[in-house]
Amino acid sequence: MNRGIYILKRLGLAIPVMIFGVTMSFLILYLGPIDPVGSILGRQATPADIRQLRMALNYIDSAGNPIPLWEQYFRVVSDLFLLDFGDSWVIQRETPVTTLIINRMPATLWLGFWSVVIALGVGVPVGLYAGLRANTFRDYASSGFGIIWRAMPNFWLAVIISGLITAGGALSFYRTAIVETQVSGTPDALGNLFTNVEIFSGIPYLELLFIPVPNPGPMFVAFKWILPAALVLGSSSMGNEVRIGRTAVLESINSKYVETAKAKGVSPRRIIAKHVGRNAIIPLLPVVMGEFYLLIGGSVLVESVFGINGLGNLFFSAVLGPDIPLVMALVFIFIVIQILFNISQDLLYTYIDPRISLGERE
Amino acid sequence: MSDRHSTESIREELTHRDNLSLTARIAENPEPFVWWAVPMFVLLAVEFATWGGILVGMLDALVIGVTGLIDIVVGFVSPGLAQIVTDFQAGVVGMLRSVGGTLGELPTLFSREVIPNQGHQTPNGAWQGTFLGLQPAVAWALRFSLIMAYALFTAYWAFRGWLVYRDHYRESDWTPTDDIVNNLRGHRWGQFGIIVLVVFLTMATFGSALAPSTVSQNIQSPYSDESQIQYLTEEGTVETVFAGDANFDSKSKGAVDTNVGVMTYDDYGRFHPFGTLPNGRDLFTFMMGGARITMIVSGMAITGAAVVAMTLSMLSAYYSGSLDLGILTVADGVVSVPQLLLLIMMSAVFANTWLGAVLDGGFLLALIFAFTTWPFLWRAVRGPALQVAQEDWVRAAESYGQRPRNIMQKHMLPYVLGYLLVYASMSVGGIIISLSALSFLGNGLGISPPTPAWGRAISAGQSYVSSPSWHISLIPGLMIVLLVTGMNALGDGIRDAIDPEVETGDGEEAAAGGGA
Repeated sequence: MNRGIYILKRLGLAIPVMIFGVTMSFLILYLGPIDPVGSILGRQATPADIRQLRMALNYIDSAGNPIPLWEQYFRVVSDLFLLDFGDSWVIQRETPVTTLIINRMPATLWLGFWSVVIALGVGVPVGLYAGLRANTFRDYASSGFGIIWRAMPNFWLAVIISGLITAGGALSFYRTAIVETQVSGTPDALGNLFTNVEIFSGIPYLELLFIPVPNPGPMFVAFKWILPAALVLGSSSMGNEVRIGRTAVLESINSKYVETAKAKGVSPRRIIAKHVGRNAIIPLLPVVMGEFYLLIGGSVLVESVFGINGLGNLFFSAVLGPDIPLVMALVFIFIVIQILFNISQDLLYTYIDPRISLGERE
Repeated sequence: MSDRHSTESIREELTHRDNLSLTARIAENPEPFVWWAVPMFVLLAVEFATWGGILVGMLDALVIGVTGLIDIVVGFVSPGLAQIVTDFQAGVVGMLRSVGGTLGELPTLFSREVIPNQGHQTPNGAWQGTFLGLQPAVAWALRFSLIMAYALFTAYWAFRGWLVYRDHYRESDWTPTDDIVNNLRGHRWGQFGIIVLVVFLTMATFGSALAPSTVSQNIQSPYSDESQIQYLTEEGTVETVFAGDANFDSKSKGAVDTNVGVMTYDDYGRFHPFGTLPNGRDLFTFMMGGARITMIVSGMAITGAAVVAMTLSMLSAYYSGSLDLGILTVADGVVSVPQLLLLIMMSAVFANTWLGAVLDGGFLLALIFAFTTWPFLWRAVRGPALQVAQEDWVRAAESYGQRPRNIMQKHMLPYVLGYLLVYASMSVGGIIISLSALSFLGNGLGISPPTPAWGRAISAGQSYVSSPSWHISLIPGLMIVLLVTGMNALGDGIRDAIDPEVETGDGEEAAAGGGA
């Protein structure tokens, strides 16, 4: 199948899924027994204030008649799909939702990036190692590590690790190692991770272009700061990677083509790199992609334990608010990310393993 | 003889072949049954009140929950009918509660009255009120081990019942279940899972007898008249005090002098196997209460999700086409909202409604978990179900004129059930973790206090991890790790037992619990 047509087709199929997800969230928030007007104004609200706010929130029209739910629904959904997310109601009154999200984004991206990298950097090698040394003590030790690591609740691990790092804990040396850093709260170094170097200064229009150059100092501080949280957030994926990496290696190492390569005298190193490793990546792919998705949910708990002001924390306070425009916008963004990941995952399959043709999956 | 008549008679022949009922077969050869049934009867009889109590409790919650849901739906149509439903609910619940009350007064063999561990020291150092004058710790350990041994043996004896049935009373010599059981018998990892499951179910069932204190005395109403305990003062006199006051002086707040750690006594002669919470309550009692609500909620949730997934997988495999596509869209829609976010959103929204009050919020949570879990299960069994639907015997059954419902139930479902079991036991770990995560977040999410919930204990101990009171956060977490590992092991075991060749790759995300 043509790749372009395939992508279009997948995007077309994604639309009903998106509509369903948004509708479900809408129904939960608008039909459910929550009262944003009450929580915005508090108990001392006068009827006039309430009336005015209801009008501002599009619950009633200017004549005081309630706007039917389906009309509200179409307004909300069309605004979302036109990327007009409106203003926050509770968290920061009158601030555009987009501003709030953009302000909180860097912390979550930084956390998510490192949790994926660390989980991959530890989980995959350990899994491959266990598979190559199958049924030895070392295999059992590393598989056991994966199984336990996978069963540990993120929030509990976060509590234990952050507790051990605090002053007086067994791991308190971590704070002062190399550079003294905090370990909870949002890393303030996030603001100057990069210096923007203008390369075309003086040339009209082109001078707006710049190259972000990493600043090693703040980058290391921010990395060290976020490392415990990233380790926790990546924990369950790390366990999955160990487990699946191991079985994948076991499956490909016993296959005929590895035997053939051995018979031809290919060096063990080359066999592992070219024949076993590559094939072992295929079943790992959904786990790695799924990891991005788990991060979105997991960041709520990890961010709240480590006190990081990221999107997860924002969502949590928005739900408790309840800040309906903010919740709807975040849910919408999460759905879009999720769908894009699913599609890119299926595309990636065809690059890694040419035997899989487009449209075969699903 | 018409064609139609002949198919009828063949169908008759196919469906009514067993000529002797099970009772008749037992009557023919009663000996093996009697040798199994009499011990089983004794085993159940000595703890009759406990078994009956748990049954009544579950019926009670189910009646309230289901009639409550009907009430909401009917309430939209006619308030009068809704009132009838409410009255019905009140009547049935009242009856169930009185039965439960009567059961509660019946004696059981391993109760706290038979082997008491709560007593006080006399001035000469001997213990009074405990079992045989033993130390409270020893008396408690004895009761704990006896109950665990009893529960494990009862579980084994129930399994023996199946063996007796298989060897003496079953009509067919072999069924696929035999192979599964035989494979599991050589699967140590899977057996570990089964034992973990039995142990935690025991905690849920016998929690109040397993703990050194009861939830009502120590946690829920420590200032009621029944919650008075006696202790030996430093002056050498025996005084009476409310459990609540004793709790106040038994707090674990991180400092060396305000800490009641693991396996220690407090100043009131009470033994704390897991130490105390920051508010002085007994952590072990709290954990047992938490085990009950955790097992009930996760059991209800996974059952609900499995039933929905099973029904939909049968329908989508048999009819396929646009029905399949429709279910796919709905499932993808539910999955597309991150699970934990959906959970937080839904429980925040419904937390203050009366639905949130049934089972201390547990019923609502079970519903929400069932709603967020079924798409994962459905996706996992959809493939096998589609394969079965292509088999020749399904076509054959169709040509005999069997009804679709029958074909799905008799000719498709048995082949999918195993996969469903595997994925269900792997996803239940995720439910357990998410459930405790919600209780951990607090703010009206999760199980409502003061009913014990594991996540709340972890949250309570959050600031004491690196202090002498490290037990508060650590132990509940380890219990969760053990239970979740056990459920994953069980899933692995069943999977290997069903088909040693197959390796499950999908559905792993479901097992990880939406990142909680």
